[in-house]
Amino acid sequence: MYKIIGAGIIVAASTAGSAQACGEVSVGSMGWASGEAISAFVAFTLEQGYGCDVTLVPTDTVPAVTSLAENGKPDIIPEIWVNSATVYNGLEDEGKVISASKTFANGGEEGWWVSGALAEAHPELLTIEGVLANPELVGNRFNNCPVGWGCRIVNDALKVVFDLEGNGIEVFDHGSGANLAASIAAADESGEPWFGYYWGPTAVLGKYDLAKVSLGEVDPAQHAINQNADADPADFGPSDFPSARVVNAVTSELASTAPEVADFIGNMELPNSVVSSMLAWAEENGASADEAAAWLLTNHTDMVLSWMSDDAAEKIGSLLN
Amino acid sequence: MAYEGLFKFLGLSEACGTNSGGLISLSSITPKESSAWDIPFPSLDTLNEACAAFPRTRDFTAGLEDGFLYIRPALRFVLDPLTQPLSWMLEFTLNSFTNIHWWIFVPILVLLCYLLSKSAKIASLVLVSFLFLLFVDYYVFAIETLSIIFVCTVICVLFGVPIGIWMSRSDRVQNAIIPILDMLQTLPTFVYLIPLIFLFNITEPKLYGLAIILYAIVPVIRLTNLGIRLVDKDIMEAVTAFGLTSQQKLWKVQVPLALPNIMAGVNQTIMMSLAMVVIASLVSAPGLGTLVLDGINNLRLGVGFLAGFGIVLIAVMLDRVSKAALAQIDKSQKS
Repeated sequence: MYKIIGAGIIVAASTAGSAQACGEVSVGSMGWASGEAISAFVAFTLEQGYGCDVTLVPTDTVPAVTSLAENGKPDIIPEIWVNSATVYNGLEDEGKVISASKTFANGGEEGWWVSGALAEAHPELLTIEGVLANPELVGNRFNNCPVGWGCRIVNDALKVVFDLEGNGIEVFDHGSGANLAASIAAADESGEPWFGYYWGPTAVLGKYDLAKVSLGEVDPAQHAINQNADADPADFGPSDFPSARVVNAVTSELASTAPEVADFIGNMELPNSVVSSMLAWAEENGASADEAAAWLLTNHTDMVLSWMSDDAAEKIGSLLN
Repeated sequence: MAYEGLFKFLGLSEACGTNSGGLISLSSITPKESSAWDIPFPSLDTLNEACAAFPRTRDFTAGLEDGFLYIRPALRFVLDPLTQPLSWMLEFTLNSFTNIHWWIFVPILVLLCYLLSKSAKIASLVLVSFLFLLFVDYYVFAIETLSIIFVCTVICVLFGVPIGIWMSRSDRVQNAIIPILDMLQTLPTFVYLIPLIFLFNITEPKLYGLAIILYAIVPVIRLTNLGIRLVDKDIMEAVTAFGLTSQQKLWKVQVPLALPNIMAGVNQTIMMSLAMVVIASLVSAPGLGTLVLDGINNLRLGVGFLAGFGIVLIAVMLDRVSKAALAQIDKSQKS
């Protein structure tokens, strides 16, 4: 009887000991495919490799960054699209949060697209001038992103700059991201033309054949003005979308209490091609975020293990065999 | 693999085939200590692990989706023309209401409220509310929401009252329809938004119109049914003795006596339509819902709060006016 109690105490002490090496960590899980997959991967690695006690918190860009600002939680937030949560820059300057790494090696991709089949039949639609000259070819509609996304501010500026309404193109404001994606799917299925905004890396961009419409040169300064909700409308000007800043954030508190975890997040940078293949595979196979993360671990083991500390890499490596 | 032993014992291993690579998930990689206490329920996924011939749960859900997509063209063929008038009504009402100048429209509304409720208090409530909405630049959004609610309520009453009457005449019909009503009320609205998005074009107003109607039609059906069933049996006997036909009984006796309940149903329908306003905005409905979404998405507390308050004002106005109108009907019946 005492042996059992003694064994129990030792087990409890040893598990408590290993959890203390890292402690309790909360990881924000963004509500879209790539965000959830990356968060699941981070949670798994921290639990199995670094012995942390991980809580996954389902959240979204703006609530997560606001929570960081107000409460300093969650400790780790992967895939923050900074242009949708401009408060983040202030937090970074204050030193409350550290942008440990870029989520996607080539940043997030944003832009205005037309259906691929349409672009093939009418190559002039690959520039905005061509679209404005032929509004009926694109169905007389621009599919705008929902309110709350950073792109909405830019698109609302650009629609004035290019005078979409004046050229016979109705700007349709979608109510939610799901609606926007569904409009692409519906247009693809019915063979109707589609013209609007979309972002990547996403399964939608991978799955549906979309061709990018060139909005002119990329002018980072002009884009910054277009992106500013408080800018003077007189200052708006044309500029194509530069690659979006998408970062994995770690609170400075976590960086000081668990530096090896912060190092791991600091190394975690995914090539855009890997993310696109992961999302395409997940879409095809109806995979959950968990399974997509497992795909990443099993198909890109070397890259993934190189991000971790030797100890963690060993533990995860042994699990994968 | 919990149930492999069972299949081996039953000699079905060959029929099962080999497990041709189901998707690996993180939980399958995570080390777990399993004991007899951890025996899993023989669910589809567990059985699939033991015997590949079983479909997994995801195959089941994919099958549901495929089934729906299979009948979709037929559904579309039937439903699109049927629901097109809804689109036209919504577009027409939205266009006309928002294009009437505020200095014409607000007095018309206030006058209408006074005529319906015969109460100066309620008319002044409506006036003050609209003045406030005008003051904070929320007037156009409020009118858009009002137009949508107006069209949806009219259609709910137009279809709901007859269905309620039909239910009240037959117990069998009632027992058949009540589970459908239960489902419409409790099924999360997002769940029936999904097939609606599949069936209808996203840019058409009928998408959110249908979503609101499906949710809000239930009270008026239930309360019409209840109201008619609650009409005193003695009165029905007396009326039969007078020799009234079935139709006369319905329209001259039952419906007038059930009117308080029917009006309560209409009142509830209006409230539930307003409750759907924000979800309707998720599928691109215009109005105060878009402002609430803005507040939610950008975490702008003030915007969300004020828009929500605007919705409450509209709800209170419609509630008071419909209740006062009901009181008027009651009064005129008793006299």
